[in-house]
Amino acid sequence: MEKRIALVACNGGCRNDSCGYGCIGCAACVSVCPADAIVINDCGVAEVDESLCLGCGACGDACPQGIIHLHDPGCPMVVKCSNRDPGKVARNACQVSCIGCGICEKVCPSGAAKVTDDLSTIDEELCLSCGMCAVKCPRHAIYDLRGVLTAKR
Amino acid sequence: MATFFVNGQAVTAEKNQTLLRFLRDELHLTSVKDGCSEGACGACSVLIDGETCRACVPKTDSLEGKHVLTVEGLSDFEKKLYTYAYGEAGAVQCGFCIPGMVLCTKALLDKVADPTEEQMRYAIRNNYCRCTGYVKIIKAMVLAAKLKKAGVIPEPSETDWKLGSSVHRLDVEEKVLGYGKYPDDWYLDGMTYGSAVRSEYPRARVLGIDASKAKALPGVVAVLTAEDIPGENKVGHIKHDQYSLIPVGGLTHWLGDPIALVVAEDQETLEKAKKLVKVTYEPLPAVHGPEEAKAPDAPRVFDEEETNVQAYKHVSRGDATGAIARSKYVISKHFETPWTEHAFLEPECAVAYMDEDGYVRVLSTDQSSHTTLHECKILLGSDKVRVQNQLVGGGFGGKEDMTVQHHAALITYLTGRAVKVKLSRAESLLIHPKRHPFWMDFTIGCDENGIIQGVKASVYSDTGAFASLGGPVLERACTHASGPYNYQNFEIEGTAYYTNNPPAGAFRGFGVTQTCFAIESLLNEMAERIGISPWEIRYRNAIRPGQELPNGQIVGPETGLVETLEAIKPYYDAAVAAGKPVGLASAMKNSGVGVGLPDWGRCKLIVEADAKVHIYAGASCIGQGLGTVLVQMVVTNTPLNRDDIVYERSNTWIAPDSGDSSGSRQTLITGEACRRACEKLTEALKTRTLEELNGEVFYGEYLAKTDKLGADVPHPVSHVAYGYATQMCVLDRNTGKIESMVAVHDVGKAVNPRSCEGQIEGGVVMSMGYALREQYPIDDNCKPIDKFGKLGLFRAHEIPEIQAIVVDKPGLDVACGAIGIGEITSIPTAPAIAEAYYQLDGQRRTKLPLSDTPYERRCR
Ligand code: SF4
Ligand code: SF4
Ligand code: FES
Ligand code: FES
Repeated sequence: MEKRIALVACNGGCRNDSCGYGCIGCAACVSVCPADAIVINDCGVAEVDESLCLGCGACGDACPQGIIHLHDPGCPMVVKCSNRDPGKVARNACQVSCIGCGICEKVCPSGAAKVTDDLSTIDEELCLSCGMCAVKCPRHAIYDLRGVLTAKR
Repeated sequence: MATFFVNGQAVTAEKNQTLLRFLRDELHLTSVKDGCSEGACGACSVLIDGETCRACVPKTDSLEGKHVLTVEGLSDFEKKLYTYAYGEAGAVQCGFCIPGMVLCTKALLDKVADPTEEQMRYAIRNNYCRCTGYVKIIKAMVLAAKLKKAGVIPEPSETDWKLGSSVHRLDVEEKVLGYGKYPDDWYLDGMTYGSAVRSEYPRARVLGIDASKAKALPGVVAVLTAEDIPGENKVGHIKHDQYSLIPVGGLTHWLGDPIALVVAEDQETLEKAKKLVKVTYEPLPAVHGPEEAKAPDAPRVFDEEETNVQAYKHVSRGDATGAIARSKYVISKHFETPWTEHAFLEPECAVAYMDEDGYVRVLSTDQSSHTTLHECKILLGSDKVRVQNQLVGGGFGGKEDMTVQHHAALITYLTGRAVKVKLSRAESLLIHPKRHPFWMDFTIGCDENGIIQGVKASVYSDTGAFASLGGPVLERACTHASGPYNYQNFEIEGTAYYTNNPPAGAFRGFGVTQTCFAIESLLNEMAERIGISPWEIRYRNAIRPGQELPNGQIVGPETGLVETLEAIKPYYDAAVAAGKPVGLASAMKNSGVGVGLPDWGRCKLIVEADAKVHIYAGASCIGQGLGTVLVQMVVTNTPLNRDDIVYERSNTWIAPDSGDSSGSRQTLITGEACRRACEKLTEALKTRTLEELNGEVFYGEYLAKTDKLGADVPHPVSHVAYGYATQMCVLDRNTGKIESMVAVHDVGKAVNPRSCEGQIEGGVVMSMGYALREQYPIDDNCKPIDKFGKLGLFRAHEIPEIQAIVVDKPGLDVACGAIGIGEITSIPTAPAIAEAYYQLDGQRRTKLPLSDTPYERRCR
């Protein structure tokens, strides 16, 4: 549908500083958001309140890590990780990092989930929101934003 | 183990399994359909905590405490609401997608009281429907929203069941509420599960089969091989060249060739046992397509055949070569059309058991129970078979051949046990015959006024691993390649080749979808060359009553091509005047088998103890609504009311053989047989009441008599009737996407106009896929695509405005003037769309799916 919503592709599973890709909690997005839709949550990671987000994209431009993009809120299955390191490195960096194992790509019935540079992304035009990827990801890097097939975060 | 709630009841799933398996196999909530088990189709949709989810995705252990809702758990008001709304809108065809659609509707309406149409499309966009084109499902959603707010459910808008009335189809409730049974919905006591081990190579010699390990596995009931077959191994519609099981020493023909049938007590053991059957092969070079098949030194697909030519047809009248040579304008072009998968929502499934009389009873989803009976008898070498049709979750030609029925029959016959044989979605994509890809060279010659002087063509097709209906499809492609125009110089030759690809057979349109793309595209180009519009060139050449088709047949007064052109003209002119890119194409399609083949319609009206007339016709309702058509026939042609009539699904021991649901024939041919039975019944009712007629049988039959192809008569009657259509595509210049489709059809008398519209919308959307996006790629190992979600089928949010217009012109003198609509709905669509894109960007496209459109499926 027309309206798009900001998504922070990091779940804040970082328990040490070795992930160079994820959210650093700088709050640049928080300060530019005209709708006050973003807060830094208890994991130290930016989180968007979908009901407030205007889809203006200002946060995406402001993010120094480049991990905020606009997505279709009608597609609730999202990869909340931006780590492009090889599997082993990514695994050590975070508890819920994508390790590029390709399981999501294999189980995806529509060709929407694909791993490039050791990171999974979902093409929302092809995605059927079935959640197979979210259910099968061994790292819990893919979420059902509705909180039905996976926890909310 | 987890405890959660299903329709308000607390349930405990001991074993961790998908929610789908738990709901179906343990709770027998069979409204939750299994269309793929891989997350693609949406037929298994349920609500979990109010959100739509596919039941085949989550495992039960992850659902602790959650609330699951299926249509069985709707409130009484909701059940009535959705039954009414879907019935009134005409949204139900085969019904397999419907419970999922209903739950998507409910989820939306529970959240948004007044949703926009866009929100509605969006709410069902992840659920596929192959029958309706979504148009009427969205209408049903709009209506449901309105009625839910009002809180009252009115009477149906039309209640008179006479012909011409858009009554609610008789199968709406069982399909909306999901209690109607498709074969997979049967769970019999002591039922086993059967499945075939299939070839690892498209072409290989089977050297040995070792089933000892599989047989030793506890829970395995039997492993059957070719040696166990009591009758003939090879079955088939016309030509018996489809192996039921490949024997040791035999050649495999494609990756779907079955080698051993494994039977087990449960589905898990079955899968394990299949892996334990060891087959040794001598792999041989395969034939990958017609080009290879033609080569003089090509490997032969069949040991039994001299060449790889499966069928050859030559049709010639007048002098095409001479006429083209004398023509002022001549255009020659090469065209190609792809493989297409039927993608019906219900995968093939059959259940068999020994009935009380010692017959093997087959519960099937097919396009003719009598064909299934016939082929099972061949295989078993026994007459002790009975076939009973269940609901059929879509066919479109893809359920005409044996896929699981004969295997189920064999298992029950040999083991005495009840069995369910079901194809996984990946197997279904591999196994049932597809739409033939065609390669076509066409030449057309016209005079300075655009009057067609002659057409000459040469075509070939890939009919894959066995004949199926390859011959008749080729024949229909050839006989209809001329288009519905008035000229007499026409020549075409066609060849169908065996290859080691999956088999190709019947598919809505039956070969005509292919050659129509070529001839109509050429005609559009010719119009431009001459300087007249695509509409004008058709109007000048259109076949009119009393004129002679290129096949020599003189058409009758019912011929309505001109009427379709006249009806579309205002839309066409308006779009052109508005400067929009617009394309147009016409088509004709036979109704009935034709070309001299015996084409019988048969119907029995039996008055039973309930003082009602039961309609028995051995003709499958594959979703098109045949049952409703026949009931409307009876109400129209007898003094009876709807409530006096019961429609019985086709079977083989009471219902007389009325042929396949194929060739758009049932409305016309079985319709006429039914009408004839009505005459006798009406006569009897003059002197007696229904109570008094208890036990009496009123029989009607009708032979649609036609002449053989190339019959030596001046004007051979190839077909008893033709439907005609003109369709139009309008593009949005800015987005390059389709803004609207207008489809005008001449169907004679429309039995149920709303059902008729539904057929048209579904056919148009199916062919939008054929024209723009659908794919069925086959790799170097002759292995086709194995995922339903990657076929490129259109989804609800992508559908343009579709206007279905039925020209109600008095039809033939049979079946009260009704002509079948099933196939023609998807024939002129692709060339109309191709022309619209030419108008947009000046590129003539001769290959489907069309390139350089916004619909092209991006590969990730
Ligand atoms: S399954 Fe999970 S970890 Fe593996 S590639 Fe996909 S998102 Fe990454
Ligand atoms: S939700 Fe389903 S369709 Fe979408 S990316 Fe995941 S697996 Fe693929
Ligand atoms: S059966 Fe679950 S999506 Fe097809
Ligand atoms: S009615 Fe939707 S798939 Fe048949």
